[in-house]
Amino acid sequence: MEANKDNANPTILNQSDLPSRRSDSGVKKRDDGGTGLFDSLVPAYTYLNDPFAQQASSSDTDDDSVEEIDEQEIYDLISTISDPEHPLSLGSLAVVSLPDIHIQPPSSPRSPISTVLVEITPTITHCSLATVIGLGVRVRLEQSLPPRFRVDVRIKQGTHSTDEAVNKQLGDKERVAAALENGTLMGVLKKMLSTCE
Amino acid sequence: MSDIQLYLLEFDKDRKEASSIAAQSAKRLESKELKLLDLIESLGEYISHDDTATRAKADDHDVIGSYAKGLLALEERGKWDEERVASVINALLDNTHALRNYKQQSERYPVLQLIDTLMAKYRNAMKSVHDSSPQFMSRLINYFEGEKDPRNLMIVFSILKVPMTEWDIGSDAQDLFEAVFNYFPITFKPPPNDPYGITTQDLKDRLRDCISSTSDFAPYSFPALLDKLDSTSMNTKRDVLQTIIACVKDYGPRTISLYSVTLWDALKFEILNSEEEDLAQEALSGLSEIARSLSQASTGALNAYLKPIAKECNEHLEDAPTKQSQAAGRILGAIASVSPEVANMILRAVLPTLFTLYQAADNFPKRRGLIEVFVQLIRADLQVYGEWRAAPAVQQAPNGDRTSSADLAANNALLKFTDQALEVLSTGLSTVPVKEVSFRLMTLDALLQLAKVRQLLAPQEIAEIIKLFHTIVITEESYGNDELKAASVNGLVEIGQQKPQLIIDHAFPAFMAQLPDSDVDGSTTYVSVLEAFAKLGSERQLFETVVLRLRNKFNVAVQQQASVRYLRAILSAILFAFAQGANNLQGTPGSCPYYNDLILPLLKQSSGARETRSSLFEDEGVLDLIGRLSNVVLRTQHLEFQKQIARETYTLFRTGPAKDLPPFGTDAPTTQGRTMIVSTHVLAALQREAKPVDDINELLTALVNFAMVDSLSPKVRAATSAQVSLVVNKFIPTAELKAVTGTVLYAPTDLLNPANLTINSIRTIFAIIKGLVLRNHTTLTTIFPSLLALLSSPEHGTTVARGFSTLLQPDDLLTKENHCTISGLRKQKAFSLLVPNISTSVRSATDASTKANYLIALSGILRWLPYTIIEPEISALSPLLLQSLDLPPEEHEVKSATLDTLITFLTQNPRAIEEHASSLITRLLATTSEKRNPAKVRAAALQCLALVPGQLRTETVLPFRKQVAKRLMASLDDGKRAVRGEAVRCRARWMGMDEVEDEEDE
Repeated sequence: MEANKDNANPTILNQSDLPSRRSDSGVKKRDDGGTGLFDSLVPAYTYLNDPFAQQASSSDTDDDSVEEIDEQEIYDLISTISDPEHPLSLGSLAVVSLPDIHIQPPSSPRSPISTVLVEITPTITHCSLATVIGLGVRVRLEQSLPPRFRVDVRIKQGTHSTDEAVNKQLGDKERVAAALENGTLMGVLKKMLSTCE
Repeated sequence: MSDIQLYLLEFDKDRKEASSIAAQSAKRLESKELKLLDLIESLGEYISHDDTATRAKADDHDVIGSYAKGLLALEERGKWDEERVASVINALLDNTHALRNYKQQSERYPVLQLIDTLMAKYRNAMKSVHDSSPQFMSRLINYFEGEKDPRNLMIVFSILKVPMTEWDIGSDAQDLFEAVFNYFPITFKPPPNDPYGITTQDLKDRLRDCISSTSDFAPYSFPALLDKLDSTSMNTKRDVLQTIIACVKDYGPRTISLYSVTLWDALKFEILNSEEEDLAQEALSGLSEIARSLSQASTGALNAYLKPIAKECNEHLEDAPTKQSQAAGRILGAIASVSPEVANMILRAVLPTLFTLYQAADNFPKRRGLIEVFVQLIRADLQVYGEWRAAPAVQQAPNGDRTSSADLAANNALLKFTDQALEVLSTGLSTVPVKEVSFRLMTLDALLQLAKVRQLLAPQEIAEIIKLFHTIVITEESYGNDELKAASVNGLVEIGQQKPQLIIDHAFPAFMAQLPDSDVDGSTTYVSVLEAFAKLGSERQLFETVVLRLRNKFNVAVQQQASVRYLRAILSAILFAFAQGANNLQGTPGSCPYYNDLILPLLKQSSGARETRSSLFEDEGVLDLIGRLSNVVLRTQHLEFQKQIARETYTLFRTGPAKDLPPFGTDAPTTQGRTMIVSTHVLAALQREAKPVDDINELLTALVNFAMVDSLSPKVRAATSAQVSLVVNKFIPTAELKAVTGTVLYAPTDLLNPANLTINSIRTIFAIIKGLVLRNHTTLTTIFPSLLALLSSPEHGTTVARGFSTLLQPDDLLTKENHCTISGLRKQKAFSLLVPNISTSVRSATDASTKANYLIALSGILRWLPYTIIEPEISALSPLLLQSLDLPPEEHEVKSATLDTLITFLTQNPRAIEEHASSLITRLLATTSEKRNPAKVRAAALQCLALVPGQLRTETVLPFRKQVAKRLMASLDDGKRAVRGEAVRCRARWMGMDEVEDEEDE
């Protein structure tokens, strides 16, 4: 069984080196450079210790600012997908990486449709599971993004011996739909997606 | 005619007669009229009788079972001699072979019990039967062949274990092994109601004991087990690995040395290509066990085992960081932690290669991978050579030699590599760019582990490591999630546990130098230093120094008129150190630690009793921290000591009468009102017998009056309410409680009179009732109805309703540590006094706002109740909770609470809510899509909705699937990321539903 793996010994990235929201955006840093160690010493003054005051003010800074769906959010959606061969995430195997995710805004002001382009990098150029991985990414995004996003998943150019053929399969709506009817394949996909939070 | 014949003939005619014949023969056996042997022989005849009808009777009617029982009963009455034992067992084997011919388990079972008894009680007799007849062993093995019943197998395994462990089995070894190994792996699953009381594990354990029972099995067991290791079933592999470990432990070093390399070649795959973590763990323990076993044999055997391991692992290190280089690190670490000797051999074989590879590596991921392996080796070394603080003075080596730990440490192979390691790691940590987070974290960990190994590094070397760490905390720019800074602080704390004085000598001065006397320039760089400092204070041996240094800094900062923000930060750091509870604060009747040099000066400064009163002490945040600090120190003190300071609760050591001060002098200036914040914490610290004033009733009245003053700041107001609760809960005797609170709640003060309601009076009402609820006082039975009546007040009903959430809310002042009376039954009591009443009132309420007020009050009570209390009312409450989701968006706190309660219902008792499924799903969808609900509520509604498909029955939920999937599309586009995240999770749960269906269909 082991011998059948295309790549039995892949390179693994460390969790601390994977992109995460806080390190990249640089926002929400505490302005005093601390970690908030002392924050819990004194309970915050909230509704719970004074529910009698008018509540109008307590809906605070919450709702006005809109957090747009960005590349990091897409990365967080797909980096936790498991590789079909290893109990490792696509993020830690660098199959998906932040710089290879692009969100293209609507092409015209009248169109609401944005496009998410994800380029995946198989761990080796002859990886026979590249299509399955691509399909997994695609299914995950289609389930998780609002319909105003069009999902485009491709093999990164030059990283796979048959990348064009694979891209053709991944881009063909009918072939994707047909593939998803296949019980065995769906079983594999389900297992891959089961580690997604 | 023999008894048996009589019995069988009679059986068809008259069953009663038949059983009396059986009873008779048992009697005759006892009285020795009938010879046992004859009985068995005559039985044998019938078992092999040509007449199938007669034989069938022997099978069907439990004959052999009855006789085995008879023999067992007989045996109990008197010890048998060797001859008797031999004749019984031979008769059984001769005449009733093979046991599988008896179809009923109940027949075979007594026979097995009989043989088991013979094995257990007549070991020598049985052994001499074996010794004198060469065929006996194989006859015995064949006798049990084909047994399948778990109850019987338990006994068969136990019988066979005796020859395995105690007899000379010689040429029978293979047959004996196969007789039990045929059952491997055990796949038995107990039937649902488990009539046998035998678990799979029982069988597995007993079988494993057989396989590992004698090293004579090794030539058969290891090949057979390794063959089964190739199985695709994880359970089988798990079984194999556990059995191999048992064999390695039991077969002894001489045998293991013959198989060590074969085992390595097989087990390594489970780690290098691991699919299941627990299998890898088992394989690792297997490899360690082999090393442990061989440590007891010769160095040569150990060497022969370790050499190929080191060689292969070294090869895997060459392409680090890969899955296999990681695995190599785990293997080396697991084996090296077996003993000092093994650790030394591994370190000598691996570290030279590792450092050469490191020097030649051209990228950080590779270097990180190599250091990761190094860390595992240091940890193993740490395990066998001990830490500085914990190592025993004398250690016992596996070969029984006792060595002083100093001598042992001198042999640590790691010593030869420390110079090189320190050089490589220090350079790595201090010169590599900050963005190489994982690499630097790994070097930091390696340095930390090195510093911990007993007698490995010299003090000066550890000091250098400390310096590297505190430099990162102090001077490094913040990057990413600041994992490195956090790790450095934790590293310092860990070194502080091992070598406190080195931390005090080296890290403390560096930190203190970063704390300004005053922060007039507005810089806040001191915050991270204070945090680090405070964490160090959680280490017992550093605590006192931390507190003293911070106190001195606080005094200087006050003199220099530093900012309030800086003072708060220093006080927070001191409080953090105290709150960690690392130190014993127990005083004597006359003294209290940290009182004279820390607490008393702070209290005096806060009240202005000191002449140098600074405006800094008008800050409510500073006062609150001073109060909390006093509370932590004072509350554990001796009653005598507390009595001395109790009198100063309100004066806080000011001169002059307390009656002019708040809460007694209500027209006191606001600055003085602020001291209420400090006195609240002092009051909280006092034991019941340490009264703050002579007349507690007068104090309560004063507090109530003070609470009515409109100009109080929120913090002073909260402090006053807390004092009301504390006084009611702690200082008023039970007998007087009804009368005293009565004068406030009813006439003359009459707070509960609807005409007297104001926002301040409502707060005070709840403060009083909270104190009573915690005591679970009987007067609540009359007070609660009056309180509930206020919910229909058009003007104040909503404010009252919101107050209900305060009653059972955990409170940081009203605690057992603060000597409050906290009844274990308070929640049950509040529930039974309030909830049925509210639940009826909601239904009968006519106007919408009163109804809403009842729902708000209900939610405020339920949110603090454990599920077990709510359970009896769950079906009555569910519709009400669902209605509360329809409240307007400004009642979002109520909705949050309701969603929490619904989540509990769904997890604990989904059946109870099943009938409301439609209403539940619709309302949750509405709650999450209502944009005026705060993000927290929208997200919570999704969390709740995500539970529905898993918890409610599929046939109930499935009709909603399409609608939910569609409506959640909108939530996928919610403006807030956190809500979108929940929507993704929730939608995946709903979408995953029909796949479950498919699986069931297959």
